[in-house]
Amino acid sequence: MGEQLPVSHPVRQFIAGYEHLAGIESSYGYFSPNVTDSCRLVFEIHYSDGRIEYDLPSVGSHAAGLRFSSLLDKIRLTTDAELSELMIKMLTYAKWQEHPEAVKIRAIFGEMVLPSVDSFERGGHERFEVRQTYEFVIKETQ
Amino acid sequence: MRRWRQQILEFFFPAETDRWLSILRVGLGVQIILYCLSLWNDWIYLLAPTGQGLISRNLAESVLGVESIVIPRISWLVAAGQCLGLQNEAILWVVWGLLLLGGILLCIGLFSRWAAIGTWFLHLCAVKSGDLLVYGVDNFVTIGLFYLMLSPLPDKASLDWKIYKPLAQNSELLGFFRRVLQLHLSIAYFFGGLSKCLGGGWWDGSSIWRALIRPPFDVLSPELLVKWKYLFPAIGIGVWVIELGYPFFIWSKRTRLIWLTCVLLMHVGIGLFMSMYLFASIMIILNLAAFGPGLIRWQSDPPSGSEMLPRKGALSA
Repeated sequence: MGEQLPVSHPVRQFIAGYEHLAGIESSYGYFSPNVTDSCRLVFEIHYSDGRIEYDLPSVGSHAAGLRFSSLLDKIRLTTDAELSELMIKMLTYAKWQEHPEAVKIRAIFGEMVLPSVDSFERGGHERFEVRQTYEFVIKETQ
Repeated sequence: MRRWRQQILEFFFPAETDRWLSILRVGLGVQIILYCLSLWNDWIYLLAPTGQGLISRNLAESVLGVESIVIPRISWLVAAGQCLGLQNEAILWVVWGLLLLGGILLCIGLFSRWAAIGTWFLHLCAVKSGDLLVYGVDNFVTIGLFYLMLSPLPDKASLDWKIYKPLAQNSELLGFFRRVLQLHLSIAYFFGGLSKCLGGGWWDGSSIWRALIRPPFDVLSPELLVKWKYLFPAIGIGVWVIELGYPFFIWSKRTRLIWLTCVLLMHVGIGLFMSMYLFASIMIILNLAAFGPGLIRWQSDPPSGSEMLPRKGALSA
């Protein structure tokens, strides 16, 4: 409702505000029309001595893990390339705080392509398909 | 025309007991307590501002700020707390503690109205500032708390009722809010089921397989799951039939028990086999509050009180 109005229009602001207050701003089509592949973010951490380590984002509980999975889905669905890069950059920065001696981190964002039942029975497994890579060089001033 | 108007009024304002409200209040109290405890380890990490946590809450708040300026957010509370000399982390812990307290107060029914309003507001602040990290459970908790704070609290099972002994309850208003919750759930399930039935994966069972092996929902090993592959099409079709059929079969007294049982079993399954415990619990709470009372006749129920059907002439002058 009111989507044809400018974003700053008071009526549109009121409707959007009410939708958020009542919890009705999103649709109810969870896992539909089909279940999508699962997104994954992998960090390739480079150190000054040439060492390379791989790591995944980490949270402290299963409940937070579910929320993180939702964040990765949102990154996948974001049509604004700058916004998705900004989100990946923030996640990379959080990872860098765990590895402050790293000089460069490559964030590899992709999807875990799930096998079908038949493919799994024939020995197929999930595979990682890269969608986007971002390289962040850490400067001392950061 | 007058008869139609009367029927509409009787549909929207049936005389009700407050048993559904007790279920909703206690259920949401438990849900909020579980929400707080489940995020104890990550609370600061998930809601920190730029550069201090997993992802900046400022980013989510900026996006929300464009949508509407009236959406509550953590930065409002941080700004208020900073006036009192509190730091960001301390304020976040105060919010966490107040939310937990709100959940406990809702469970026991003490200061029910204020607890419902405060819990709704604080939960909304946390959810909206962590908007990038939310999923279905948060929307349904917001929906539940929104209806709870507007409903005619306190209910008879609450401590408030025992301590303050209010004079009477407005049974038509109780009926109205229960009806709104029932309609809301019916719409949500109908469109959830409709969108699933449009996807081929829910007909051939591949969506069930994918949902169960998709990280982070992969509780059961694929080797174990594959032995049950012939059941997947039936389960997939069963899921969307239950959801799509919800608004048609949950209202009739003849089919309500079987449909409610199916829906509850579906959510228990989601909780156990996909480890989405909080999502399962909020859906079970909302379903039980909306359609549970009236299915079982309690000893204390008034013999003539109908839980579901509008009382004849309830609103006639």
